[in-house]
Amino acid sequence: MDKVIEKNTKVPLLHEQKVKAPLLKRIKDEWKKNALVYIILIPILIHFLIFQVFPFVYSFFLTFLHYRIIGTSEFVGLQNWKQLFQDEIAWKSIWNTILFSFYYIVPTMAIGLILALVIKSGIRFTKFFKGIFFLPVVTSFVVVAGIWEWLFSGTESGFINYLLSFLGIDTQLFLSDSSQALIVLAGLSIFKVSGSTMIYYFAGLQSIPKDMYEAAKIDGASAFKQFWMITFPLLKPIHFYVLIITTIGSFQIFDSAFLLTNGGPNFSTSTIVYYLYTIGFTNLNFSYAAVLSYVLFVIILIVSLIQRKYFGNDQSIY
Amino acid sequence: MLKKILKYLVTFFLGFCFLLPFLIMVLSSFKVTTYAALDPLFWLPTDPSWSNFAYLFRNDNFLRWIFNSIVVTVIPVFSQMFFAAILGYIFARKQFVGREIIFWTFMAVIMIPSQLLIIPKFIMFSKFQWINEYQSLIVPELWAIMGVFLVRQFMQGIPMELEEAARMDGANDFQVFRRIYMPLAFPSVATVGTFAFVSNWNDLFQPLIYMTNEKMFPITVGLASTLNKEGNFGIEMAGATISFIPTFLIFLFFQKYFTEGIQLSGLK
Repeated sequence: MDKVIEKNTKVPLLHEQKVKAPLLKRIKDEWKKNALVYIILIPILIHFLIFQVFPFVYSFFLTFLHYRIIGTSEFVGLQNWKQLFQDEIAWKSIWNTILFSFYYIVPTMAIGLILALVIKSGIRFTKFFKGIFFLPVVTSFVVVAGIWEWLFSGTESGFINYLLSFLGIDTQLFLSDSSQALIVLAGLSIFKVSGSTMIYYFAGLQSIPKDMYEAAKIDGASAFKQFWMITFPLLKPIHFYVLIITTIGSFQIFDSAFLLTNGGPNFSTSTIVYYLYTIGFTNLNFSYAAVLSYVLFVIILIVSLIQRKYFGNDQSIY
Repeated sequence: MLKKILKYLVTFFLGFCFLLPFLIMVLSSFKVTTYAALDPLFWLPTDPSWSNFAYLFRNDNFLRWIFNSIVVTVIPVFSQMFFAAILGYIFARKQFVGREIIFWTFMAVIMIPSQLLIIPKFIMFSKFQWINEYQSLIVPELWAIMGVFLVRQFMQGIPMELEEAARMDGANDFQVFRRIYMPLAFPSVATVGTFAFVSNWNDLFQPLIYMTNEKMFPITVGLASTLNKEGNFGIEMAGATISFIPTFLIFLFFQKYFTEGIQLSGLK
C-alpha cells in the first residue's frame, strides 16, 4: 500500500529522468564489471555463428536444393529425400554401419573393462601398462591402418594368416572378402579405442568402496563371484556412458573404410560417412550428401537424447 | 603365488599384444625390402638401414607435409588452450545476462557431428578462397566447446575465497584470471592442449576435403596418399613412424593429462 502511494505521488517527468540516468550508468557499470566478458565473448559468438550455426542451418537448406557448383542452384523440394528411399547403396551403408557397431561396441567395452581390471589388480608398473594400452588412442588412424593392412594381408605370408596357420586354419582373404572386411575394420577400431574405455572403467573401479569387497570376502565369495555380484553391477553408470560414446563413435566411422577398403569389396564396408564422402566429393552431389549427413545427425541425436534423458545436463558423472 | 604369476602373465601378454603392432612398425621402417610383404617375419631386426628415412627426406613433399601438420596443429593448440581457460573462467565465475543460455547452446552443439558441417563448410570456404589454404584448418579450430566445458568444471571447484582475497587487494578480472584461476586450473588447460594436439595432428577427414593440392597436405593425408601408391611397406612404415613420433612424445611427457582429462570430459 505504501509503495502505491509513493509511486503516485511522484511527478512523471522526474520519474523518467530518474530511469534514464541509471540506464546509461547501468551500461557503464556493466561494462566496468564485465568488460572482459564482452571482449572475449562477442568474437566467440560471431565465430560460433559462422562456423557452427550457419553451416548447420545451411546444410538443412541444401537438402532441398539441386546445388550447382557453377551456375545457379534450383529448389527441388523433397526430391533429394525421396532419392534416399530408392537408393539401395545408402541403405546398405546404413546397415553396414549398424553391423559395424554390432562388431565393435561390445568387444571395445569388454576389452576396456578387462584392461582396467588388469591395471587395478595391484600389479607393478601400472603406469607403464596404462600407457601401452592407451597408446593406440593417440595414434592416428593412418598409422594404425598402415600396420593393419600389412598384418591382415590376405595372402599366405600375411602376418595374421601366418599365426593362424599354426592353429591349422586356412589362409583367409580378410580385407578382400566381403564377409570379413567389416570385421577386420571393427578389429582396428577395437584396438584403437579400448584404451579410452579402459580409462573410464578404471575411474569407475576406483569409485567402488573397498569395504564391499571385504564384506564379500567374509561371506566367502570367490573372486569370480565378487566380480559378477559387486563390480559389474556397480559399474552400471559407466557401462551406460561408455555404451553411448562408443555408439556415437561407431556411427561416425570413416577413416579405416577410406584407407583400407575404399568401401569395398562390393560395398561391404561402405559406411554412412564413407558413402556421404563419395557422394559429396567424388560425385560432387552436395545436396544429396547433405541428406545423408542429416541421416547421420538424426541417429546421433537419438543416441545423445537417450544419454541426456538418463544423465540430464550433468555430464560430470565420473 | 601361482595367482600372482598368472596375473603378471596375463598383463605382459596383453601389453605385448598392444605393443606388437608398434614394434612391427618401427622395426620394419629400418628394413630395405621390396619383397617385405612376402615374409611374415621380415621385420625381425637384422641388417637395419636408414635408407627408407633417407628416401622420405629426399622427397620434397614429405618435409612440406610435416611442416603443414605443424602449422595446422600448433596454432589451434595454443589458441584452444587460451580460449578454454578464459571462457572457462567467464562461464564458471562471471555473472552476466544469458550466461546459462549461451553455455548450454554451446553444449547442445556438441551433438552435431562434424561430418554434417563439412559440406556447407566446403561451399563456404570455396567462396572465401580458403581451399588449399591453412585458414580452412586453423580458423574453425581456434576454440573448442569441449575444452571450455572441461576447464569450467575444473574452475568451479576452486574456492571463491581466493578470488575474494585478490579482489580486496584491488585485482581486476584479468589479473584474477591470470594470477589465480590460470595457475590453479593449469592441469585442465594442459589436458585441453594435449587433446587439441592429438586431434588436429591426426585429423584425416577435414584436410582430405579442404586440401586438394599435394603441397598443402598435412602428414596424415600425405601418408594416406603414399599408402595407396608406394607399395613398399618399409617406406610406408618409415613415414608412419615419423608421423607417430610427435604424438608419442607429447603422450610420453603429458600422459597424466591425457588419462585424467578423458575421465573429466568424455573427450574421445
